[in-house]
Amino acid sequence: MIPTGEATIGPFFPPRYVDAGANDLTKFDGRAAVGEAIEILGCVRQEDGAALENLVVEIWQADAKGIYRHPADPRQRAADANFLGWGRAATDQAGNYRFRTMLPGAPAGRARHVNFMVMFSGLMRILKTTMYFPGADANDADPVLAAVPAARRALLVARQESPGKYRFDLKLRGEHETPFFDD
Amino acid sequence: MDTVIAPRDERTQPARIVPGYPQTPWRNPKEPLVRRAPTLSELTGPLEVARRVKLLGGDIAGHGEKQAIGQLMHLKVRVMDEDGEPVGGAVVEIWQCNAAGRYIHPNDDDHAPVDANFYGAARVVTDESGAFELRTVKPGAYPVPTKDGWWRPPHIHFSLFGRVWLQRLVTQMYFPGEPLNGQDRILNAVPDAQARERLVARMVSATGNPANALVFEHQIVLRGRKATPGQP
Repeated sequence: MIPTGEATIGPFFPPRYVDAGANDLTKFDGRAAVGEAIEILGCVRQEDGAALENLVVEIWQADAKGIYRHPADPRQRAADANFLGWGRAATDQAGNYRFRTMLPGAPAGRARHVNFMVMFSGLMRILKTTMYFPGADANDADPVLAAVPAARRALLVARQESPGKYRFDLKLRGEHETPFFDD
Repeated sequence: MDTVIAPRDERTQPARIVPGYPQTPWRNPKEPLVRRAPTLSELTGPLEVARRVKLLGGDIAGHGEKQAIGQLMHLKVRVMDEDGEPVGGAVVEIWQCNAAGRYIHPNDDDHAPVDANFYGAARVVTDESGAFELRTVKPGAYPVPTKDGWWRPPHIHFSLFGRVWLQRLVTQMYFPGEPLNGQDRILNAVPDAQARERLVARMVSATGNPANALVFEHQIVLRGRKATPGQP
């Protein structure tokens, strides 16, 4: 079977699909996840610098111990029962998105990271990228980061604005364009 | 790992920059996309989205005195992977305009009438056979505000969560025999004609079940196949 063709999410994705609390991964069914709660925020812009409103951002990440809540992870049984690992946010008028989540642990063979995807009007395909944390020695050995041309790797490393607060701006095209993955 | 994801045939997927779709040149990467070998991180994904978001059911045509205006239709969809294996337990988000071509959304300032009995959003989970059903009214066509004659043909939007991150899919489904299909810039951004045909539902109709509704069937194929046991 040939995979169905993608299409843009368009300008009319129902606002109610960005459920209240969907951008807060620090709790699941009302119970607090294990680890260090952090904030990840950023602004999304297009080539001319215009901030993009109503853009949908989703994230997927490991829990504080670096375990994925999924049967493909051999350590799944030890996963944090109170951490879903997935969240969704929409950008506001100033193009800003915001998540509260737990600082992910480093999964086997990887540096700690958060998977991002971006869906928007004018994007015929989902754009996928990966956010890294500043100052992590493991970043240098991460195979996904290593696949990015060296001169562009820094664009995937978030900036720590204050303790527990990380800024990861996304530029979809043009100067300081965020590296996106061909998958 | 359970799931293997291979690159897709580009001809079956839409161009990123589409002539006549004015937002596309501003928002799609200029730099080459980075090819990576998937790791556990991309070959896992959220399986319990339905516990985080609110399910809305698959019946949006209304009932009793609050029935939406339009051609009542019933859509039966099967979601599968590249092996044709059903993808059960997948959250599917569905949205569409009303029969007059109007969305309930702050971005839609078209003059077409709002239908007080139609919001146009359904959120369901596929059953073990990968199936879900939608009872709705057939969406209308509407003009895109490019002011150069581009009208969207009737279509329904889908957002699907597969079993792993790289299976996530956002797509649109079209209707057979619609005169606007041949000139739609989004549908025709897919270069391969057969791939475009697979975005068009099949009318199976006239069975009388359910009564008064046109019946359509559709297939959605997510990327990926199960790894052969013993293989990576």
